[in-house]
This record gives sequence, structure tokens and C-alpha cells, in this order.
Amino acid sequence: MDSIAGKKSGLTWAVHISVAALVLLWIFPTLGLFVSSFRTGDQITASGWWKALFPSEQNEQFRAADPEDNRELIDGVYVVAGNVYVEAGKVDDPADVAADVSAWGVSSREISAYAPGETADMGEGETMTVQANGDYVWLGSDEQISGRAPRIFVTALSPPDFTLQNYNNVLFDPANREGMTKAFFNTLTVTIPATIIPILIAAFAAYALAWMDFPGRALLIAAVVGLLVVPLQLALIPLLKIHNDIGIGKGYLGVWLAHTGFGLPLAIYLLRNYMVGLPKDIIENAKVDGATDFQIFTKIILPLSFPALASFAIFQFLWTWNDLLVAMVFLIDSSGETTVMTRQIVELLGTRGGDWEILATSAFVSIAVPLGVFFAMQKYLVRGLLAGSVK
Amino acid sequence: MKKTLLAGSAIAALTAGAAFAEGHLAFAPGDGDFSWDSYDAYVASAPDLSGQTLTIAGPWLSPEAEIFDSMLAYFEAATGVEATYTGSDSFEQQIVIDAEAGSPPNIAVFPQPGLAATMAAQGLLSPIGDDVAAWVSENYAAGPSWVDLGTYADENGENQMYGFFFNVNVKSLVWYSPENFEDAGYEVPTSMEDLIALSEQIIADGETPWCIGLGSGAATGWPATDWVEDIMLRTQTPEVYDGWVTNEIPFNDPRIIEAIDTFGMFAKNDAMVSGGAGAVASTDFRDSPTGMFTSPPQCYMHRQASFASAFFPDDVVVGEDADFFYFPSFSEKDLGNPVLGGGTLMAVTDANDASAAFMEFLKTPIAHEIMMAQTGFLTPHSGVNLDTYKDGVLRGQGEILLNATTFRFDGSDLMPGAIGAGSFWTGMVDYVGGASAEDVATAIQDSWDAIK
Repeated sequence: MDSIAGKKSGLTWAVHISVAALVLLWIFPTLGLFVSSFRTGDQITASGWWKALFPSEQNEQFRAADPEDNRELIDGVYVVAGNVYVEAGKVDDPADVAADVSAWGVSSREISAYAPGETADMGEGETMTVQANGDYVWLGSDEQISGRAPRIFVTALSPPDFTLQNYNNVLFDPANREGMTKAFFNTLTVTIPATIIPILIAAFAAYALAWMDFPGRALLIAAVVGLLVVPLQLALIPLLKIHNDIGIGKGYLGVWLAHTGFGLPLAIYLLRNYMVGLPKDIIENAKVDGATDFQIFTKIILPLSFPALASFAIFQFLWTWNDLLVAMVFLIDSSGETTVMTRQIVELLGTRGGDWEILATSAFVSIAVPLGVFFAMQKYLVRGLLAGSVK
Repeated sequence: MKKTLLAGSAIAALTAGAAFAEGHLAFAPGDGDFSWDSYDAYVASAPDLSGQTLTIAGPWLSPEAEIFDSMLAYFEAATGVEATYTGSDSFEQQIVIDAEAGSPPNIAVFPQPGLAATMAAQGLLSPIGDDVAAWVSENYAAGPSWVDLGTYADENGENQMYGFFFNVNVKSLVWYSPENFEDAGYEVPTSMEDLIALSEQIIADGETPWCIGLGSGAATGWPATDWVEDIMLRTQTPEVYDGWVTNEIPFNDPRIIEAIDTFGMFAKNDAMVSGGAGAVASTDFRDSPTGMFTSPPQCYMHRQASFASAFFPDDVVVGEDADFFYFPSFSEKDLGNPVLGGGTLMAVTDANDASAAFMEFLKTPIAHEIMMAQTGFLTPHSGVNLDTYKDGVLRGQGEILLNATTFRFDGSDLMPGAIGAGSFWTGMVDYVGGASAEDVATAIQDSWDAIK
């Protein structure tokens, strides 16, 4: 008995450790994506998201203020003074500067030639002085203090720097707010019927396959299971051709039908396995009492199958919400009116797809609704998933 | 709000429809250096197609999509057609699905001539006529080469004009930071010999001359094909280049291997490229130019097409912080100033009156100038006013295009898809990963033999 118990606890530990490992495996990239969604595109290219969480030594380059507007004549020399962080728009007041300059320079070849407070000689009397908080003074003659302002290279310990600008761009930018709202409602228009229709059909089919005796039932079940392995990609063009031939064309009806068709095998399989596991006695009792098949289905089977229905609904909802392929083929035409969230997000990436910050942000915007659906129905998910597998 | 609406509708009722539509135009007719004559002439001769629709599909997304829409507004104002453009990042797949299933847009914007040629051979495109071919030949710089690029065999094997090039990019450019060059005392090289000497000088100074990144998701490797094509044009005659693209000259010909090895001189040398040769294949081409603008600079030069400026950090001002020079030719070889480029072409997938009127509209300089003034759009149209380019950098590129002694289209886009968008890409990744040029070229030739 002891040895069996010991074995069990060893196994439990193994399960716990692997679950923790799996959770970490999924959480880690999600966290990275989340942190990245608060960083600018340039920051993402420059350093990894894990470095963004802590103050870090950074080499930055700034430019002195434009001499045209900012120079002053003091004691016969022209002066431009300011603070690099204020002018770069990072803080409003020099007193708020959190960075601590440890070295600086005026040439890209020697970016840390000077310590804070030292004065750099830029030749023929032109000088530059930078303080630890980023204050600078640029001195010189009329000719020197003109044209393009020099660059100031700064090495500083900078605090973490996050921005809400990405969320602003995705959600509230007037240029795409309209498109995003339209895409959101279009996605709902696709998703809700595409979830309900297959459940309706599959529930009837599953009852028939589970509890009604008719010749060829086993073959039919085998065929449904067989359909599970057929990749939907090979049906795309033939199906679209049929839609065009019978006059549906591209549109909501077409995409509902397509999602229904592609979702049915799994739905029937899942629901039939659950229903077949319901106690035989109840159904036989009902039959003896004179209930018809339809009454048994609506009064007994449907209420008892709720966990399986809910878990399939979650699956189908998530899959249609995140779908791009089926929507591209059956819905999105060149009129520009039919677009869905996934497509809208892809468009936000820009012509050459380099806008990672938008991708990270959009992922979290798009995840919000499925997350809500999942948490609302998750207690049924596990019960429904185990449908038919354990008695 | 209601008052403005009322006022708006009153104005709309009082003025002609066209005048009302002009309120939405990006540049008011008559303003600036635009060729408004050409627009007025088009408006005068354009058919009234009110109520018709025109759908256009293409690969451009933001920001090009909005700018293209602003150009369409002029076409709408002139003809009354309701035109919509939809961009897709998977345009190449989408257009095939839509055309084969019988629901294509009216006009498709192809990023590669190869795909248009395939679709023409299947009878999915409508020819745009020999008079357009004659017009392009006359009004585009290096016109006959543009006609050749837009002419494909139809389903009966007869050559027809299908594609009209609109939006071209120049690939033979080297980007650099003028201030970094100034800090280090470097001069812009004018010949390939000087460029190689400069690279060696930078290495001697303890710095890294080049940033090269080949990463591009599923298309990883393509920036290297541009390098090889550019070097081909600088080491061999255009005829050899054409033979190479059609595989009359096999891929493993010594002349092509030499070009690949010349690219290797830059990309396979740890001292030559930022991050070392090992980082070349894994660095994303969009991130690669950033190295020129870091503090301290990770590299001094970056060879990339005119669109590279889209990937510079936000605060970099093109023309001041960043500039380009022409990827120079060898002064010892007498091959002139060859230019490598790419571009998108418009083809009619579902002809109607509006699509015909739109193709006519694309011939007007104004259609090009509206785009030139707003984005990195280059055109070989010799009738446009160069002053309308958005900035001096683009004007410089436009001049390179107009003054090219030899213009050749991106060879990998002309090769069959399995090569130009397949084994050539992967072969170049293998090459920078350590394989020899002979082995890589032979493997690519084998894959070409296999599809013949």
C-alpha cells in the first residue's frame, strides 16, 4: 500500500511540475508581447522586452535646439542652452529628468569622450558643455552657431520608459477608428451565427447517431470521424466556386455556411460521444412512458448535454473569432466594406509588415472578447472536453 | 453641426457634383507645380460614368493605401465612378483565389510580373491593347523595357500587352548617415573600387562598414538576391543578365558564381558586416538599417531599395540625418550606369467601362504626381514635373531612374516562382551560412532543371 501511495505522489509531483512548465511556456511569450505593446517600434528594435522592465545604461543621441530660433547673443558669443531630455519630449521640466548622464560626446566616433560638467572643444572656440541631468550649453561665433545643430551623444542610466501610444493608435486614431469599429461588428456578425448554426445542426445529428437505430449508423459515424482529418484548405476554391455559381457569392451567408461546414465534424463527434454516455435508463424510461424522439431530445438530452454544448461553443467561437483564412476567401471582397478584426490588424502592420508594436498591441485588443467568453463559460470546458472519455 | 450639414447640402445643391467632390481632393486643382493641364484635359475628355463602380485590389497597405485613395479621388471627381481600393498583405494568394473562383476585382496591382504572366496565360487577365504599349514605349524612360515587362503570352500563346507599370522603386542605392561620414572624415565613393577601398578603410579604423539583413519571414533571403543582381549588372553586360534571368545562361555559370562571390566579399566577412557574417541571415531586413543610426553607429552603409527609408527610426530625417548614393559601378569596366529596380503593375482582371477609363487616367502625369508628392513613389513617366516629388531624396532617385543607361527589373521577380521566390532565396541563406558559391549555384540550377 505504501509503495503504491509513494508512486502516486511521485506521479503527482511530475504532473504538477509539467503543468507549471507548460504554464510558464505559455505565459512567458504572452508577457513579452504584453510588455512590448507598451513600447515604441524603435525601442523594440533596439532592445529586448526583458530589458525594458529595469533601469538600464543606454546610449542615446540627441540634437541641440535649432540655432535659428534659440540662439542668444551674450557678451559677444552666441549661446544655445537647453536640456536634451526636455527637447526630446521625454519630460516637461529639467527638474523631472530621471536619467543620470555618466558620459557624453559630440562625435559618433567618441560618444563617451567627456564626463558630465566637462567642456568639449569643437574647434576654433566653439564649445559644448553637458551636465548630468542633460542640461547643455553650446557656445560659439555667429557662423558656428548656425545651420544644423550638432548631435549630442549621451550615455545615461535611464529609467524604464513605457507609452500608451500604441493602444491609442490601434483604438482611437481617427484614421483607423472607423475601420476598427466596423471590423469589430463585422466579426461579431460572422462569429455569432457561425457558432450557433453548427451547434443546432450538430445537436440533432448527434442525438440521432447516439440513440436512434437505423441501418448504416456506424458507417455514418465513421464517415464523420473521417471528415475530421480532411484539411479545410483543399475545399476553399471549389466551395467558393459553388457559392458563386448558386449566386451566394462572397458575403455573410457564404462565410456562415463555410464555418458551419468546417465546424460540423468536430461538433457532431464531440456531442455524439457525450450523448452516448448519458444513462440509458432515463431514455428507455421516457420511451416506455410514450415520449417521442423529439421530446426525449428537447426535454432530456439537451439539458443534460449543456457542458458539451458549451465547450463546443467556446471552441467554435474562438476559432471563428481568430479566423482570417475562411473570412478572406468567403467574405472579404474588393468593396472594402467587409472586413474582420484579424484582417484589420494585418492591415495595421503596414505595407512591409515591420510595425511589431502594433502587432503586439492588436493582439491584446483582439484577445479581449474571446477572453471574456472563455471566462464566462470555462467551468463547462473541462467537463465537456472529457465528454465520453471517462464513465 | 446641423447648420453645417444644411449649409453643406445647400452648397452641394448649388454647385455641380464635380465641384463638390473637389473639396475632398488632397491638392486643390490649380495649386502647386502639378501638371493640372493634363488633369483638365482628362476631365474634358473623360466619359461620364456616374453610378459605375471600380474595384481595385493590391498589395499596398497603410500608408500607401490612403495615398492611393487620394489619387483615386481625382479619378472619381473626373468620371463620377465610385472607386474602392482594398489592400491585402497576402494579395498574391488572394487574387488567384478570387480570379479562379470568378469573383475578381476590376483591376489588380501586381507586385511581380511573374504572377501576372501566369494569370495571363490562364486567360484571367484582359489585354490593355497595343496603343497602350505604344504609349508606354514613347512616354516612359527606357520605355521598350517596360513594355516587355508588361507583355505576356495569353492562353493561346500570343503576346499581348497586359501590365501598366505604376509605382517603381530603385534598388541600386546605398544609404548612409552624412554626419557619421563627416565625423569620421569619409567621402562618398563614386566607383566600386572606391567603395571597396572605403569599406577597407572603415575596417582599418576599427569600425564596421556594412549593415546587411536578409531576414524577412517566409521570404528570408531576398535582400541578397538584390545584391547579386546589382553586382551582375556591374560585372557583366545586360545581355548576360537577361540570359541569366531566363536561364539561357545556367545559374552555375562562372560569371554568376563570380557575382555571388563578390557579394560574399561583403556579407561573408566578419569584419565587413555588423554582427559578423553569422548575423546576416538572422537579422530582419527591416531592422537592419537601424544600425546606422545607433549611438555609437554599428555600421556606416546599407544597400537597399528606395523604400528602405520607411524602416529608419522615427526621428531620422531623410535628406539630413540619412542620405543615399548610387551603388557605383566599376570604373575599370565599361558598363555605364546600370540601375536595378522593381515595381508594381496594374492589370485588368475584370474589364468594364470604368477600368478602361482608369487605365486612361493612369497615363496622365497628374495621376503620378499626386502619388509622388505624398509618398516614396517613383515613376519612369517622362512627362511628370520632377518638382512635385515629396523631397530632394526622392527627386534624386527619380533622376537616377530617368537617367539610367541600362534599366533592369529585379531578376528574382522575373524568374519562375520556384526559383526567384524559392531556391534563389534559400540558396543565398545557405551561402551566407557557409556553403560555397559553386554548390549553391549548382543547387539552384538543379531546382530550375527540375521544373522545366
